[in-house]
Amino acid sequence: MEHVSLRINGVNVVAPAGTSILSAAGENGIRIPTLCHHPHLEPVGACRLCIVEDEKSGRIMASCVTPVASGMAVQTDTPNLRRHRANIVRLIMANHPESCIVCNKGNRCELRNLAADLGIGVTGLYSMPRYMRLEEANPFIVRDLTKCILCGKCIRADHDLVAVGAIDYNRRGFESRPATVHARPLEKSSCTFCGTCVSLCPTGALMTKNRYYAGSPQREAPTLCGFCGVGCSLVIGSTNGQVVEVNPSHGDQTVNRSTLCVRGHFAHDYLNASERLTSPLIRKGNGLEKVSWEEAMGLVAEKLLSIKAKDGPQSIALLGSSKCTVEENYLFQKIARVVLATNNVDNGGALYGRAAWRRLEERLEGGGRVKPLSDLEQAEAVVVLGADPTQSVPVLGYHLRRAGRKRAIPLMVIDPRKTDLVAFSSLWLPLNPNSDSELIHGIAHILLKKGWYDRDFVKSFTEGIDEYRASLSSLDLERVCAVTGLDAEAIDEAAGLLAGKKIAFVLGHGASTQRWGLQVMDAVVNLALMTGSLGNKCSGFYMVARENNEAGAWDMGTVPDNLPGRQFLADRTVRKHWERAWRTVLSPDPGLKLDRMITEAEKGNLKALYVMGENPVRALPGSRRVGRALKNLEFLVVQDVLETETTRLAHVVLPGAPSSEKAGSFTNMEGRIQSFEPAVPPAGEAKPDWEILTLLGKKMGSKDPYRSIEHVRYEISSLVPGYADLAKSRGTAWVGEKGGAKLFTLGGEGSLLAFSPYAPVPFEGPDKGYPYQAIFGSPRCHLGSGTRTAHSARMKEYASEGEVEISQEDGRLLGIEDGDTVMIASVRGALQRKAVLSTQIRSGLIYVPRAVSGNSAASLIPLATLGGAGDTGSNVVSVKIEKGPGS
Amino acid sequence: MTHEAIDLGQVQSILQRHQGEKWGLIPVLQEIQEVFGYIPPETIVPVADTLQIFPSQVQGVVTFYAGLSTEPKGRFVVRVCRGTACHVKGGRSILRFMKGELGLEEGETSPDYQFTLETVACLGACFLAPTMMVNKTYYGRLSPPKVSTILKQYEKEE
Repeated sequence: MEHVSLRINGVNVVAPAGTSILSAAGENGIRIPTLCHHPHLEPVGACRLCIVEDEKSGRIMASCVTPVASGMAVQTDTPNLRRHRANIVRLIMANHPESCIVCNKGNRCELRNLAADLGIGVTGLYSMPRYMRLEEANPFIVRDLTKCILCGKCIRADHDLVAVGAIDYNRRGFESRPATVHARPLEKSSCTFCGTCVSLCPTGALMTKNRYYAGSPQREAPTLCGFCGVGCSLVIGSTNGQVVEVNPSHGDQTVNRSTLCVRGHFAHDYLNASERLTSPLIRKGNGLEKVSWEEAMGLVAEKLLSIKAKDGPQSIALLGSSKCTVEENYLFQKIARVVLATNNVDNGGALYGRAAWRRLEERLEGGGRVKPLSDLEQAEAVVVLGADPTQSVPVLGYHLRRAGRKRAIPLMVIDPRKTDLVAFSSLWLPLNPNSDSELIHGIAHILLKKGWYDRDFVKSFTEGIDEYRASLSSLDLERVCAVTGLDAEAIDEAAGLLAGKKIAFVLGHGASTQRWGLQVMDAVVNLALMTGSLGNKCSGFYMVARENNEAGAWDMGTVPDNLPGRQFLADRTVRKHWERAWRTVLSPDPGLKLDRMITEAEKGNLKALYVMGENPVRALPGSRRVGRALKNLEFLVVQDVLETETTRLAHVVLPGAPSSEKAGSFTNMEGRIQSFEPAVPPAGEAKPDWEILTLLGKKMGSKDPYRSIEHVRYEISSLVPGYADLAKSRGTAWVGEKGGAKLFTLGGEGSLLAFSPYAPVPFEGPDKGYPYQAIFGSPRCHLGSGTRTAHSARMKEYASEGEVEISQEDGRLLGIEDGDTVMIASVRGALQRKAVLSTQIRSGLIYVPRAVSGNSAASLIPLATLGGAGDTGSNVVSVKIEKGPGS
Repeated sequence: MTHEAIDLGQVQSILQRHQGEKWGLIPVLQEIQEVFGYIPPETIVPVADTLQIFPSQVQGVVTFYAGLSTEPKGRFVVRVCRGTACHVKGGRSILRFMKGELGLEEGETSPDYQFTLETVACLGACFLAPTMMVNKTYYGRLSPPKVSTILKQYEKEE
């Protein structure tokens, strides 16, 4: 890169050509005051506070928008500049209300700080604030545009960072203000309440809404968000141990930089909920009574050991958590396997199509896992398959919207439903549910036939393309059209868009949890191999992780058939390695998966269940059945942060700590392992979950005394493949990839990745008597089953009742209007919700949001759908619709 | 202000001519205003969709320019000049007289949608000061009697 040299305040400075004077000065430790500037936003030069003076000509220029030039000599702090700056700030202050006493920004207000720096106390000007109505009808943001200084940070963040476009400048001159379309309140606009604007606002014009006036937080501490698999970096502001404010940490290397979503920004008030568990409880008679940790842990250890002795290790199961940390999941499965001698260990991630992800991983021989989201915007083409990231993992959605907004790269959305992303896409393929694999093979067929594939890549790194080509001879494009419901031109167009491009695939749970999830993975891997879309920076597979540590819990072996490092329990050499490391003998029997834990409890074969950080009664399909099964247990221990549907059934309840109250690490969907420290102390007598587990281990006679979290990290680093960097990392490490395949090996040695043959999947419409197909999805305000988010006071106030979306045609046919109550029934169960007639869904399909109304959507879904071949998938269910009572 | 439902078909035919034009926003808005006399708020979203920009950006442009309005205006828009030259030559009394004649304040529209009264910073015809415009016609060297005569020709025929 070309560099230029210039002089700033008499100091010779070298900066890359094209950088601004402001950043060149900043790089060299010279601070220039700003109001409208932020390193993550494009500079606009609105506030003029960053002015600098040319030494030769005396010309004054805004340093944020003036690029450095060779031979330039500027001063940043002359009396002349100070006078100009003071005047600008005086004028802004004269236009600003004097409400600092009750302003949440308090001493963090950039205007106030600047005035202090420049020594302005009284402006000496006639005060002329432009009073505007305070807007605080929504539960998230207080908007007081009287305090707006028109820096435009909120607008730039809205357009360029999160690409929502809810606001823009309206009017001109003194009347100019940011406004939504038709100047409606935020809650009636396209605003998603991500709060990015709130965190960037230099004054109190945009503030977090609390239930009471909280002022500036007493303490601010960094941590990680636990509300999805993206893993955003946060700063939690607390006062007297209560969370009062959350902001992005604004780091350059973080996954979210200056953005957050509505959950990350505003749902943390669940931590202050009255349902927080603050002391250990033991069932005595009909109720749960407070006891000491000593008594509770003593009982747990005694009961588990006696059941193990009486009924054998197979009668005990442990349900770990994709929300708990890497360290906790490691300890958890170790206790299961070493102390209790059972492989009956799983985690909530089982609900999200692990079987399909495993197929993908096997096909790639464990390679290609590290996929930073920031690469997506540089991709040659993006295919979003069965994912609605702007709702489920919003920060990934921002990356995709930014990529699509430029219209420079093809962004293809494959989804039966018209998701928000469709407006940013080059092509939307609204296919029939469960027909994805046919479509992908159809596209591959066209690419192969026309020779639009990467011959060099195929030759160097893959094998079996001829067999794949031969198997595709049985593919009939007319049948593909019939099965997918798409016309031939659309499929041709898709192939044309992808021709010659390396593709970044964003795969969601619509792909991984569908009927033919495994076949979909086979098809996309073939397409990736054919197009050379692997082994390079901006292509490959981005697997949506809904839970914050879905990847990490699996990596730590909190699954029945994998040991840590996703190594197979069935493999004798793997078992030997871990037996040596843990000084134990491991059972080779694969343990019970999550769904089988329930069925075995039903049958009475399972006697005890230890649940950490999961709420199976709410999250699993068929909550009544799950509740009955758990009641059948002799002993149920639940370790959680909130009172839940499951803790109410427990014999012992142990109060754990959420991520903000403990130290630990999460592995996100990118393969980034991020460690964090506690931001606030645990509530009441609650303890970090890893501490509870070490207590439990000790009580049950384990010989591993873990004195600190570092101790656990060190053990993971030294034993678990892929996690070698965890202990020595300072906050961020990346998962080490398995290097079996030649493609992912530096030296160019190793195996070739194989194509899999095409086998048609049967075409299935809805079941008899249930003429509609329900698709399930995650609304933006909730995560997973909504256990935590439903305890957020803000989400309770704002989030909808989870209206079922029905197409306008079907609405007419069934005589259903907007707001009518409908009964949705499947073979398994029924629910009653309000309906909304939508243009986002087509006739024959309905959309049912999860998480809301006690996650009642789960009552429609079959339980035996959690991975494994021959299952029916859990994302599409045949249902019937009836008009409900009272409408 | 309420107004009758507009014919979105007319909007569509304008939009079709500008599909995918990156810089087509202002011409599109002018054409819409030409047809309807103002920019009906319900056209903002279709315009944004066609030009692939955010609806808020369309509205930002509409509210920025004095020449674009989201409210219906009178058949005749009277713009009285408030420039320096007109001011010196008595433009202020012309405006006062006009307000009296029309019974309107600045920015108001008569209930029968015959007249809208506006002021502008300068019409650029200072040698004719004091000046005004009615729709696209200039009138200069104004005096109260001259204003009366001019307004008469625009009054509604009974």
